[in-house]
Amino acid sequence: MDEFGGQFVSFAKLVMLALVPYVLASQGTMLSGRTGIFNVAQEGIMLVGASAGFLGAYYSGSLVVGILVAMVVGGLFGLALAYFTTTLKMDQFVIGLALFFVGLGLSTLLFKIAIGVTLQPPLIPTLDAVPVPGLSKIPVLGDILFNQNWLVYLTVLLSALLYYVMYQTSFGLALRAVGENPKAADSLGVNVTLMRYGAAIVGGMLMGVAGAYLPMVYTGTFTEGIVRGRGWLSIALAFFGGWSPHLIFLGSLFFAGVEVLALRVQVGGGVSIPYQFLLMLPYVATILVMMPALKWVRPPAFLGRNYDREKRTSV
Amino acid sequence: MSIIGCESSGFHTLFTKAVYSKGVAESMVEQPILQMKDIRKTFGNVVALNNVSLSLNRKEVHGLLGGNGAGKTTLMNVLYGLYKPDAGDILLDGEKIQIRSPKDAISHKIGMVHQHFLQVDSFSVVENIVLGTPLANNPRLDLAPARKKIGQLAEHFGLEVETEARIEDLSMGIRQRVEILKALYRGVKILILDEPTTNLTPQEVDHLFHSLRAMVNAGMSVAFITHKLREVLSVCDRITVLRQGETVFTLGRSEADEETFVQAMVGEEMDVGDSLIFSRQRGDESQPAPAAAEPQPPTLRVQDVCVLNEAGLPAVDGCTFTAHQGEILGIAGVAGNGQLELAESIMGIRPLAAGEIIINDTPVSTAKTVDLLQDLVTYIPEDRLQDGYLPTATVAQNLILGFHRKPTYNRHGFLKRRAILQASAELISEYNIITQGPNDAAANLSGGNIQRVMIARALSYPSQLLLAHNPTRGLDIPSMEFVYRKLLARKESGQATLLISEDLDELLLMCDRIATLYRGKLVGLLKRADFDKYQIGRMMSGVTNGK
Repeated sequence: MDEFGGQFVSFAKLVMLALVPYVLASQGTMLSGRTGIFNVAQEGIMLVGASAGFLGAYYSGSLVVGILVAMVVGGLFGLALAYFTTTLKMDQFVIGLALFFVGLGLSTLLFKIAIGVTLQPPLIPTLDAVPVPGLSKIPVLGDILFNQNWLVYLTVLLSALLYYVMYQTSFGLALRAVGENPKAADSLGVNVTLMRYGAAIVGGMLMGVAGAYLPMVYTGTFTEGIVRGRGWLSIALAFFGGWSPHLIFLGSLFFAGVEVLALRVQVGGGVSIPYQFLLMLPYVATILVMMPALKWVRPPAFLGRNYDREKRTSV
Repeated sequence: MSIIGCESSGFHTLFTKAVYSKGVAESMVEQPILQMKDIRKTFGNVVALNNVSLSLNRKEVHGLLGGNGAGKTTLMNVLYGLYKPDAGDILLDGEKIQIRSPKDAISHKIGMVHQHFLQVDSFSVVENIVLGTPLANNPRLDLAPARKKIGQLAEHFGLEVETEARIEDLSMGIRQRVEILKALYRGVKILILDEPTTNLTPQEVDHLFHSLRAMVNAGMSVAFITHKLREVLSVCDRITVLRQGETVFTLGRSEADEETFVQAMVGEEMDVGDSLIFSRQRGDESQPAPAAAEPQPPTLRVQDVCVLNEAGLPAVDGCTFTAHQGEILGIAGVAGNGQLELAESIMGIRPLAAGEIIINDTPVSTAKTVDLLQDLVTYIPEDRLQDGYLPTATVAQNLILGFHRKPTYNRHGFLKRRAILQASAELISEYNIITQGPNDAAANLSGGNIQRVMIARALSYPSQLLLAHNPTRGLDIPSMEFVYRKLLARKESGQATLLISEDLDELLLMCDRIATLYRGKLVGLLKRADFDKYQIGRMMSGVTNGK
């Protein structure tokens, strides 16, 4: 394989690696958004997921335990969001921002309480690549797609599963209806409250795992602000992907690509671009990509709005 | 198929409230399929239903008649599990049942067609219908059996629809069929229809009534909510009249004359015999007075006007008409055919894409709304909540909104509090606005009272042209009568009125000429002498040539 080919394979492998948190967080956003709950606490939930996930893995010695812990914590945030908005009918955006700040503070607090201030950061092992027997031997593609850690595989499978559930099952039909017109869904016996709670909780779980993935793949430890805006970007991704699982997956590929590219140029040296500029690139890309995309994207009609069956609407 | 003169129950009793509270079941020959007893429902301090009772027989179309705020819809929402009643019982086949949610209602074979269709606009017809029902996933969603069943139901009851069409692309009449099919698909025995004729053309109304009759013949019971007497008389077997949250009576259609029903609807305070609103029902053609015989100079001239909607498509497509002094010109049409865009372009809210608008020989195509409001035009917008009022401002402020720059209320940019309060107090009493006073927050008003504020504002300032868009929506009957009399007073004093309304009866009653808007084009203009409900109905659905 020539040098360019090698470069490409390693680039593509890194993109697949960087893909996971984007896909998980934005699919979580999409899932709750499709029932009308507009989660904007991704950044906070991912941070707390990273912190709790790291601590769980550190103390148990098992990354799987860490991921489960992050899932539970993320799920609790989703539950809180659902409770405040669906049961107490409070403003979704305000609650979401509040939960972001809770997550932000809680992530460092948990770490400080458990570990304290140390010169040597505590480390956990990173996720190993698990080559898929047979498939990983395919030239080029095998190395890129089938020689990754198991969360990469899970992420791809999850996106496919979400697509199937959303568009090929009666459950998916009901779920989408709740986000489009909850009153219509309610009048046909769909349990709007249950749907919203479920989607918010599962969405929060995915975000928690998205956060826990970061220390387990990149740093081996928790650092403040480790999520670095990926949570916010996942909101943009949900819009960019038209609130559809398959398009969100493709959008995540694009964002992950930009992220890896920015790092590449930064590390590669020789190019005298200030690194701050490169760090900015994903966000610039967001704006550029969103501008045309937002023209045709139609978010769920009831996105961000609470549903109250007995509320009288004057005509 | 005849819809009038169908079977009557043959059991004629004057059901009074007293009879109901003793329990009517024992006195009936056949047990009613459904009874609602002493239902009470309050919203905050407002008593929406005060011990209302209703009994529905098998195989009957039962009309629930009443003006706005009578509690018809609230009662049916209780039956459908959307509202939880504070007190009262629901009996199905003589057995007490609990309905906590629409799911319970559906499981008891009760279906409801809401006035504002509960449909997912981005879904197809079949998806909307099957939503919430168990479906086969093997492994993909299999809608073929559902399509087949829908096709059979549609054929049997005359409700043909295209199952793959997207809801947002369909007309109101077809969307209503979808709504009815939703209930039939679930095999309901009792179907509730809430103001089903609101957005239908007269032809579609007739078609609907045929379908209802077919349902009843198939063994169903239908509860039909409306404020239109004519409709209940033409399709219902029995009629229950509600007023201000209370049952007035239940009577068979042939047991009383129209006058009785009308008086029951409006209560004691209004003299039906002298009313404008029921003059056509009485066959009294002398009211309202016709427009002056010789042509008057035009106040409003609209020439080849084109207006674009938000999507950049023509919403008004080359309209030309004039409204003359001392005339009420009506614009008929099913909602969404360009009425809003036309109104807003005349008011200077929306720019014209082409054409010209002239008021009193002055071109106003590019005039600002603020200048138009200076003694030229007043406006009652269609969507009072969105475009009409400020909920956090006071009632007084809302009453002068748009006229607050006038020297009467304004000195060097400062509002004159005293003058405003005084003027508002007068308007509040003249227009019978129920509020705690001029300084009450406008958000505290009910929908009907907000509409009165809109009307008071538009009618109490001098203007060459009044542009009224659905001015009586949400008003009870005495208030409608009041508005109509105000409109006629304008006409007598020689001012012009452009009345855009979805209520064809209102237009037929009030207007000197009626133009019909279909997909942004004016498809016909009729003089009062030539008014024909069915011809206008045809024009409303785009049919222009001949009878």
